[in-house]
Amino acid sequence: MKPQSRLHRSLPYVLILPALLCVGTFILYPTLFSFRLSLYENRRATFVYVGLENFQRLFGNTLFWAGLGRTAIYGVLYVSLVIVFAYLLALVFRGRMKGASFFLTVIFIPWMLSDIVAGILWRWLFLPRVGLLQNMLGPLLGDYSFLAEGTGALSVVLAAALWRGTAFALLLLLAGLQTIPGELTEAASIDGADRWQQFWNVTWPLMLPTTQVTLVFLSIQAINAVGLFLSITDGGPGRTTEVVSLQLYKQALQFNNFGFASAVSVVMFFINAGLALIYLNTLRTQNALD
Amino acid sequence: MNRSPIRWWKHYWTYLLLVILCMAFLFPIIYALVTSLQPTGFGLAQNLFRDGVYWGHYEQLLSTPRYVRNLLNSAITSLGGALLTTTFCALAGYAFARLRFQGRRGVLILLLGLMMLPGIVNLIPLYRLTSELLRLVPTGAAIIGDLNARQVANLLLLIAVYSAFGIPFGVWVMKSFYAAIPRELEDAALVDGATPLQALRHVLLPLSLPGLMAVFLTNFVFNWNDFVTASLLIRSDELKTATVGLLDFQNQLTGNNSELLNAAAIMMMLPGIGLFLLARKAFFQGFIEGAFKG
Repeated sequence: MKPQSRLHRSLPYVLILPALLCVGTFILYPTLFSFRLSLYENRRATFVYVGLENFQRLFGNTLFWAGLGRTAIYGVLYVSLVIVFAYLLALVFRGRMKGASFFLTVIFIPWMLSDIVAGILWRWLFLPRVGLLQNMLGPLLGDYSFLAEGTGALSVVLAAALWRGTAFALLLLLAGLQTIPGELTEAASIDGADRWQQFWNVTWPLMLPTTQVTLVFLSIQAINAVGLFLSITDGGPGRTTEVVSLQLYKQALQFNNFGFASAVSVVMFFINAGLALIYLNTLRTQNALD
Repeated sequence: MNRSPIRWWKHYWTYLLLVILCMAFLFPIIYALVTSLQPTGFGLAQNLFRDGVYWGHYEQLLSTPRYVRNLLNSAITSLGGALLTTTFCALAGYAFARLRFQGRRGVLILLLGLMMLPGIVNLIPLYRLTSELLRLVPTGAAIIGDLNARQVANLLLLIAVYSAFGIPFGVWVMKSFYAAIPRELEDAALVDGATPLQALRHVLLPLSLPGLMAVFLTNFVFNWNDFVTASLLIRSDELKTATVGLLDFQNQLTGNNSELLNAAAIMMMLPGIGLFLLARKAFFQGFIEGAFKG
């Protein structure tokens, strides 16, 4: 055992200091501050302490509940569509066929786009009168105008989100599948298990943690989505696609309603924190946290 | 048995489906590209093969100072943020991978939890923090180019926030890259009298270049694509980033100028797609390590 100098002992802290300072100032502090801010209301230029009044108003606000409901609908649809689609693709790519990396690359390109850019491309496809897909699909559905109907607008956002989000889920699932030894499925197939039985009895149980992590990532993406909604529907038509994250964004930026918006972000913090805990717990059971 | 006709037939179908799928995935981008290469107002009447390609929208964009400026702002802030993130994570990752100290595990798990906390949750305090910090900086005369001190501070602040957002993920990526390097290499240097920092610089860093690339590239693209944070923090038109400018453009669009909008969108996606095609592996590794640790 060599004696450790003071420098040596403080080295780890010196190394992590810049990172922690940054995270502390721009992530941790604002998060804690939003809790405090949610107890205040901005009247003219000053902030007045109002206690839990913001939350009372929030929970009594039908717009907020409607927004939360839309988030739930969008979230459930987004997460289930992406996970099913990504699973199917992951099982196809698992076979390590020739050219797999080419196909994977193409599927990944949309994930590299900003959601604003993605939204603009999809809006252009469904623009009333001139949108290509609008003109192809609209007449088939009885002169349906996608962006003029709540359901239609939501499905355009969902299509864009699925287009953009599949790649990430697919990558996580593929990474998980790689850790399953091929001998296991081979052994099952020698024992006479068919493809479906192999998947259900061998692959699926081993993939549970990966699936769980993927589901958490997808849910967080869904709950906090703003960009696609802003660029495709802007909450419309009417308020039919005004999800809670969009309400938060608009309340703060367009209406300067900070106390109220802080109350919304506190609620969203707890939803996200709940998901983060599920994530941490999954990793813990996998001993991935050292 | 492996080469049975049924198997080949099945593969044939798989390939066919994948080709169709890939075409569907590329379609929105290709359609935007085709749109952007047509003169305004022709709709789909224009035939690119017959009438040739029209570059006018791209020329117009590149000669529009505001648009070029948006791109430049995006480039500066994305690059600055990604460089800072990578530097901080290279240092912190080393401490977490190789050194034992009090609070190590707690901080690591905290970072992991924060990775799951998206920017929108602390949107409002960040907005207020920006206002208060910027109020401390005088406006006054231009100090860099035509930007005054407050505007420069505003850009730096966005860079700092970008760097913070990338850190929780980057620290874990770097930590797992360092951890995968055999300890013996470093021990040899330490025995020869190198300090831990020298060992980091001369042994570990060169070996974890792929990790550094993964952190830098993913963060650059995240920053480049960011809309919410920039739209919130940027306080003057001169400083708007490309995503913010693009949405403004769509919202102000009058008449049928979709061709120009599509051209602007296409130009914005080039860095992301380009970097991805050049360094696919770094992106894949970054995403996977970031999500599952090492």
